[in-house]
Amino acid sequence: MKFNKQIVLVTGSSRGIGAAIAKAFAAEGATVIINYIKNSAAAIETAEKCKELGGSAKIIQADVSSGEQIQKLIDEILQDFSKIDILVNNAFKPYIFDSENRKQFHETSWNDYQEQLDGVLFSSYTLCQTILPIFKKRTKGNIINIASDLVARPTIPYHDYMTAKAALIGFSRNLAMEVGQFGIRVNCVAPGLVYPTDGSMNTKEGLKEMIINQTPLRRIAAPEDVAGPVLFLASSWSGFITGQTLYIDGGLVMR
Amino acid sequence: MTLNLGYFQGIESSTTEWKTLSFDRGRGAIEVAVPVLSETQLKSLCTRVKNMSQTYLKTIPVSDLVNIIDTTISSFLDRTNPYRQQAEDLLPRITGYDPEMIRLGLTSYLKTFRKVELNRFLSEDFSNPKILDEFQPLPKGGLGRAYGPDLLFHIWAGNVPGLPIWSLVSGLLVKAGNIGKVSSAEPLMASLFSKLLAEIDPKLGECIAIVWWEGGQNKWEEVLLKQADLVLAYGNNDTLRQIRNRTPITTRCLTYGHKISFGMISRSALDTGKSWTTAHQAAYDIVRYDQQGCYSPQIFFVEEGGAVSPEQFAQFLARELENFENKFPSRSLTIEEASIVASWRQSEELKAFSEEKRAFLADPNGRWSVSYSETAGEIYPSGLNRTIQVFAVGSLREVPSIVKPYKAFLQTVGIAASPEELIQLASQLGAIGVTRISALEHMTTPEAGWHHDGRFNLLDLVTVTEVERTAETAAEAFSDYVD
Repeated sequence: MKFNKQIVLVTGSSRGIGAAIAKAFAAEGATVIINYIKNSAAAIETAEKCKELGGSAKIIQADVSSGEQIQKLIDEILQDFSKIDILVNNAFKPYIFDSENRKQFHETSWNDYQEQLDGVLFSSYTLCQTILPIFKKRTKGNIINIASDLVARPTIPYHDYMTAKAALIGFSRNLAMEVGQFGIRVNCVAPGLVYPTDGSMNTKEGLKEMIINQTPLRRIAAPEDVAGPVLFLASSWSGFITGQTLYIDGGLVMR
Repeated sequence: MTLNLGYFQGIESSTTEWKTLSFDRGRGAIEVAVPVLSETQLKSLCTRVKNMSQTYLKTIPVSDLVNIIDTTISSFLDRTNPYRQQAEDLLPRITGYDPEMIRLGLTSYLKTFRKVELNRFLSEDFSNPKILDEFQPLPKGGLGRAYGPDLLFHIWAGNVPGLPIWSLVSGLLVKAGNIGKVSSAEPLMASLFSKLLAEIDPKLGECIAIVWWEGGQNKWEEVLLKQADLVLAYGNNDTLRQIRNRTPITTRCLTYGHKISFGMISRSALDTGKSWTTAHQAAYDIVRYDQQGCYSPQIFFVEEGGAVSPEQFAQFLARELENFENKFPSRSLTIEEASIVASWRQSEELKAFSEEKRAFLADPNGRWSVSYSETAGEIYPSGLNRTIQVFAVGSLREVPSIVKPYKAFLQTVGIAASPEELIQLASQLGAIGVTRISALEHMTTPEAGWHHDGRFNLLDLVTVTEVERTAETAAEAFSDYVD
């Protein structure tokens, strides 16, 4: 199994894309840290599935928008496992994707941008600050950040959210440049519309059909579709890849 | 706690026997209880419903009935409504269909019963719907009034969720008292609809009862067949034959039996720009409720000579069936269904292996299969549950003669063709018994007021009392104002 004995932290992994990633790691033998903020029942269910799939799982509640709670989260992992191999930054501030009632640019305040920048970048920044010293000690480690294909192709211009996701890609590239010399890799995956998740639960059928029509592989992504590329970027199969963004959208974006 | 289904007024539910039905179709096991009334209770229910139909339902103007049904349907369309939520939660578990398919299917189905659609439904069958309320002048002279039966007995099949609502609404629109026997396969929607309707208009609720008994148990059926003024039965032809034979000669029995539907793709829909969309729409018709409806396609006839060949179309179709596995995953099949699919697949695969000009494309786990043949020989039903045959034809005009032997079974044809071809094909197809032609992607969603199997849904339910012109004229002689 590809990730045997590896400790993987997936933030926001009780449900949706995070849970799918956690389960995929578990199926490859990893010990997955299921991090959640509110839904403990979902976290327990995901952890049980991880065990059924042949991996191990530990549930830790922590709000990754809080620096203090991030520190506690990392401390608890180290206490139990004394190492972390892979960090998947999946949890971000919840955002309502409502294509019909989205804020237009003239309605979007600087505060909206600020909130999203905080929501998207702060937890990634703080988690990386906390975890990199640990990675550096072993001169290895792997960080995968979840961006969005809307950065490259704003089918619906969610100004504040996507600007923050674009910043996350820039953040990842700069970090990759700096920490590559320690054997640490930083990459992003950029899914298209993923259904079903909490964020996309109310996406209208018309929009889904429009995206499907323009997508070479003629469907939209399921949470499980995101897991494969994340595992690839976390594995030795991508050992010479860093600073990259992998689009998971059936070919909608080609670059 | 087991959920009690069925619906009736005037009988203490504690005095009836309840039978538990268990469902486990891979989406969470569930048990529901359905009422098994005694023969005496069933008889008293008939009397009660008939009485309410005569004293209440027959007195309400049809426009008021439309408003009440519209209010009920609006509540059902509201995703925060507890009945709607119950339907979204339980239907996938009872039927095994994908929850997303159910959610979208409920909305697209229920919205065909909104006020404007109900009025369309009425005016489709009655040039003047007020004929249901009072005597109206008839075009031939004299006056007429249409009366719905006091007791309409529905016997429902469980193939497509929610279909009983169609026949219940039809019954209510013609002011019939309704007793419906739900199928063991889908006892939910008729019960929920009736409960919700009764909350909105309790007296109208008393004009309906939803009951259940084990299929083939004739003694209960006999009670209703004797009491009913009209019988409306859905099911396979053997069941329908038995029901018809047991129905008293003085009672009308309307039956809706098994049908075969198919699709036709013209070369004009097979250019490089439109062919994928055509295949996508065709796949949707196959996937929606896993070909369980009478309107679901079992065969596609594809015309040669387009930029995309019929074989390529079959490949597109296969790919789209795979893509739909992602959007609407197929349900786990019963042993009986699985064995039908398996034997169909085996036979088609064997033909593809032994005959040239054939191809068999399938998901290894049996979730979908496409059997392609370059020649359309004898046709036969598909294995259902996402199994489809694609036949190449030199011209779509050949199709009517191929399907003609099955005249008694033909129903819907989904057509992708130019306007000229559409009209030309429609007249050929109508002549051999096809009763409905739709666009692809709409085969399984008939429009409001469609004429099921070519019949008049509402008009078939009523009898018309005519006051002939002679009576009108003669009455003049007896008036107070006669000179």
